[in-house]
Amino acid sequence: MSLPTFKLLRPRTVEEAVGMLHRYQDEIQICAGGTDLIPSMKQRLFSPKYLMDIRGIEGLERIRVTPGLGVELGALTTLTAVEDSGFIHKHYPVLHEAVKTVASPILRNMGTMGGNICLDTRCLWYNQSLQWRKSCGFCIKKDGDLCHVAPGGKKCWAAFSADTPAALLCLSAEVNIASPSGFRRVAIADLYTNDGVNRIKIAKNEMITSIYLPESSAGYSGAYKKLRIRGSIDYPLAGVAVALKRKGNIVEDAKVAITGVNPAPHLVPDALHALAGREVNEHSAMVVGELASRVAKPLTTSLLTPEYRREMVRVFTKRAVMAAAGAEFSI
Amino acid sequence: MSEPKKSEFSVIGKPVALVDSAGKSTGQGKYADDLSAPGMLIGKILHSHLPHALIKKIDASRALALEGVVTVVIGKDAPNTYGILPVGHDETALAVGKVRYVGDNVACVVAESESIAEAALELIDVEYEPLPAWFDPEDSMKSQSNFIHEQRPNNIEKDYHHVFGDPDAGFAVADVVLEGRYIANEVTHAAMEPHCTLAAFEFDSQTGREGRLTVQSSTQVPYYLQHKLSIVLDMPMSQIRVIKPLVGGGFGGKSEIIPLEIIAAVAARKAKAPVKITYTREEVFLAHRGRPRTIIDLKTGVKKDGSITAVAAKVIQDGGAYCSYGVVTILYSGALLGALYDIPNIKYDGFRVLTNKPACGAMRGHGTVNVRFAFESQLDELAGKINMDPVSIRRKNLLKPPCITVNGLRVQSYGLPECIDVVARESKWAERRTKLGKGRGLGMACSHYVSGAASSIIRSDMPHSTVNIKIDRDGGVIVYTGASDIGQGSDTMVAQIAAEVLGCKMNRIKVVAADTDLTPVDIGSYSSRVTFMNGNATMRAAEDIKKRIVAAAAKKLACAPEDVLMRDNIVYKRGVEPVESKSILQKVLGTSPSDKAPTVSGHVEGQILRGSVQQKRKDEGPKERMSFEEAVTSAMDNTGALSGTGSYAPPVEAKGGKHKGGGVGPSPAYSYSAQVADVSVDEETGEVTVHKIWAAHDCGRALNPVSVEGQVIGSVWMGLGQALQEEFVWKDGLLMNPTMLEYKSPSSTESPEIECFIVESIDPEGPFGAKEASEGSLAAAIPAVANAIYDAVGVRMRESPFTPERVLAAIRAKNGQKKIEMTNRVDPTAPHKLREHGGSLWFKGRGPQRHADDPSRKTTAEPVAGD
Repeated sequence: MSLPTFKLLRPRTVEEAVGMLHRYQDEIQICAGGTDLIPSMKQRLFSPKYLMDIRGIEGLERIRVTPGLGVELGALTTLTAVEDSGFIHKHYPVLHEAVKTVASPILRNMGTMGGNICLDTRCLWYNQSLQWRKSCGFCIKKDGDLCHVAPGGKKCWAAFSADTPAALLCLSAEVNIASPSGFRRVAIADLYTNDGVNRIKIAKNEMITSIYLPESSAGYSGAYKKLRIRGSIDYPLAGVAVALKRKGNIVEDAKVAITGVNPAPHLVPDALHALAGREVNEHSAMVVGELASRVAKPLTTSLLTPEYRREMVRVFTKRAVMAAAGAEFSI
Repeated sequence: MSEPKKSEFSVIGKPVALVDSAGKSTGQGKYADDLSAPGMLIGKILHSHLPHALIKKIDASRALALEGVVTVVIGKDAPNTYGILPVGHDETALAVGKVRYVGDNVACVVAESESIAEAALELIDVEYEPLPAWFDPEDSMKSQSNFIHEQRPNNIEKDYHHVFGDPDAGFAVADVVLEGRYIANEVTHAAMEPHCTLAAFEFDSQTGREGRLTVQSSTQVPYYLQHKLSIVLDMPMSQIRVIKPLVGGGFGGKSEIIPLEIIAAVAARKAKAPVKITYTREEVFLAHRGRPRTIIDLKTGVKKDGSITAVAAKVIQDGGAYCSYGVVTILYSGALLGALYDIPNIKYDGFRVLTNKPACGAMRGHGTVNVRFAFESQLDELAGKINMDPVSIRRKNLLKPPCITVNGLRVQSYGLPECIDVVARESKWAERRTKLGKGRGLGMACSHYVSGAASSIIRSDMPHSTVNIKIDRDGGVIVYTGASDIGQGSDTMVAQIAAEVLGCKMNRIKVVAADTDLTPVDIGSYSSRVTFMNGNATMRAAEDIKKRIVAAAAKKLACAPEDVLMRDNIVYKRGVEPVESKSILQKVLGTSPSDKAPTVSGHVEGQILRGSVQQKRKDEGPKERMSFEEAVTSAMDNTGALSGTGSYAPPVEAKGGKHKGGGVGPSPAYSYSAQVADVSVDEETGEVTVHKIWAAHDCGRALNPVSVEGQVIGSVWMGLGQALQEEFVWKDGLLMNPTMLEYKSPSSTESPEIECFIVESIDPEGPFGAKEASEGSLAAAIPAVANAIYDAVGVRMRESPFTPERVLAAIRAKNGQKKIEMTNRVDPTAPHKLREHGGSLWFKGRGPQRHADDPSRKTTAEPVAGD
């Protein structure tokens, strides 16, 4: 399968990049690590006229700690770099746990934090070749008006399938977005639309340049549990991130987020309510699992059944809460 | 020849590196897609997007108008039918009049580049008239019209009904009889190398007419390819040369003629230029020829002492749209109920059914695997019913070879008892089984496989393998073998056998393999026949040429030919110590030899000059020993150029019973395997973790133990993929997972330790006693895991693969917990029908183009969960 024909742009600065985005809005695609984009282009999910390779932009690949503020991760920081960062491991363990589950080591060497945040939503009926999609009828996410997972529906339910945003939600992370008119900062929690087609609230002339982890989130214990068939390579079919702040054994703050099941990653509301002011035990962890499974709305976007995925959100959340509290789950 | 002791071998039985491994690991080796030819064009195939439809019109004019497009090939350019089996000639290069599955081959664009060809595919206008399609074999068998192939009423490709012994009487005397339905879902080979073919004609410069054709292709069967090309192209076989470059794995997926091989040749003829076609991974999945989804209704009876009294199996295979190897597959499924255990009475009803899906064919463990899963699972269950240990019940039912089974299979060497003993001992079966704790269990299963079929599919009395050997003046040995090395190591096997027989070192041997112009005919690399058959042919060729060397050497050594021994590059008289080659060579040559073929002084421009080593040798008198090279030179002085030939045809005694279909199953020898699996089951997620597999394999003599281990481990690993995660997921004839991302071949992280034990039951007819090693261990892995799951959590998985959702659904049902619909209404402990993907192709009349009677249009989409 060949790549569609495109013109390669290689900006050297953020300003230049944003200028290009502004000029070619509907005809341009940003390529960072390319691990997800290149196969998708071969499948003709994207046939941009211009492909903008941003890896030549200086200063976007770094982990910078500013005491009093937190950590800034450049958008081009590779997943491997985050995984290998002792600082992240120590202070933001939930991110460390999530990042090391992404794809496989080789793909993490290329894949970037910015790319993971901007990952396209996935659906078994969408991530297929042009020939395949022709055979089943084009869907609303690409070239058509059918939906094979919610027949008759108007909304796209393709699942948001990146691992790290669930962890970033737990850490109250923010992203820095560059546009022709300057920079703006947006909380991760406000970044996604929960619509499989227009999944992210970034304008066509904007790009993410960095990710901020606030210092106030440092030191939370954390865990990330991922449902997948293979221990490597696979995208999450469900993912649960948990970050806990405890005094002694008593929970002071708790964040739980899920990914891989809905068109956006979601914080689980009321998770704090279920956990705050008490010790984590199997019962409270189960309650949080129940809450998380209510947030999950998996459909037939994957090979596993929606029912199983929702059930696993429940089980994996319970286990992630226990693991974040340092307790072994019992089978 | 008396049986030499193992220590008497110098090459056989040694862990030898594969002769082609350096090229493969450095990237120097050339696979088909690495090849190119001057003026080469690229072919891309247009595939059907409908499962079953008449082709009313193909208009390629827009595609032909695109710059860079040379030609477009369609069905009528080469309408002759072909197929791997003489009874199954139902394929054409490209569809003629009708398409039969989503992915069927409609047209091929030949263009200057891949991207131009791909763009041109979108410009071919095909007008179809949809026909109702068949996706479920049990529905398909009931069809009354719109048959997939007109000549196959009710869409039944072939059915067989065999009765051996008296099954009714057998069940009558049984103390316990169990019946159950098992379903094994469809799996595919997923070889690392996608298929690729480069076809080039020689064209007469005067007339422009095509002459000889050369095809270089990723194939396990170059001679079959040559034959089928001659049928489709109406050319004599002598005008077609097929060369097999390095092949990156086959597993059966390249053991027949794959559409692109024929299409590339037809396209090269029409384009008047070399054409290369390389499949995308999706096309590999659609070409398929994998293991069919199989429904097995199995009934087994045992006495209280564990002895099996009768087995009855009804097997339905979902064969896809073409015959492929189907008739053989359905016969293997029945025939190989025998030859593992002593079963006095067997009833078998096999149905190979056509459906509108990619054709299934041969895959590692051809025909046996799914039935073995059912059988070994049910045997475990029966053991439970009579309170017998799973190991004991297997020991109770062993064959007593040499024997002929009730269904006509001759068994001579039989290492199964030792295989069972080894894995039971090494896994500490008896001590550990009851002490593993909650959620963990041990399971055992056995399997077997043929070492090649005693009767070939070509219906000919021709030997199945022939090997020629030529020896050069400096003692270089060239073995010409038709055997196709597809990564399994046949080139190395051939080199080892030739070196052992000729008493020379491996590095003197050069193997020229699988080139129909150069190498004598061999029917191919499938059904684990190569070591046994091509190995025997190699041995005979080497013995043939050795006779001449020995005769010449006998004169020089002044002894009888029987007293001439050859080993490690030394030819010596019986009773004399074969002194280390170094000193001998120094004495003979007066030069310091190296381990490589020694340099011949005076060898200039292909001539041997006076004063060369040959002259020196002639002047010397009788001696006790000489170098291999000197012996070869002496023989050439007597008879001229040295060449030898040998061939192998299976003995008539191994050819089985006279019943219809009795030609499939009989083999000159069978391999045996026993395995124990140690697994944990997570009762909250249904996830199965395999901690370790102990696998013992009886391969006769292990010619190359490291290679045997690799094959056994690979087989078990492939079986684990089918056991736990690999399956084709279907929705109305659409393959939902035609990618390596969604088709879940195991990654390294979930691949457990597999400890391999080689059991050597020296076979009386195998080369040096060898039998097959590459397939027999696959089948046992699946039931071993199923039985271990039962031991761990008490659920009997009757549908493979045992994915987490299936296992969890089974656990939930057993524990009476809250029922959650996780399996699309197919109970994995009592499966009854095809589990389709839960999405929907149609909704209230909206969907892709399909016939009104198509199954997808009949089912109304139900409200979806989750919202």
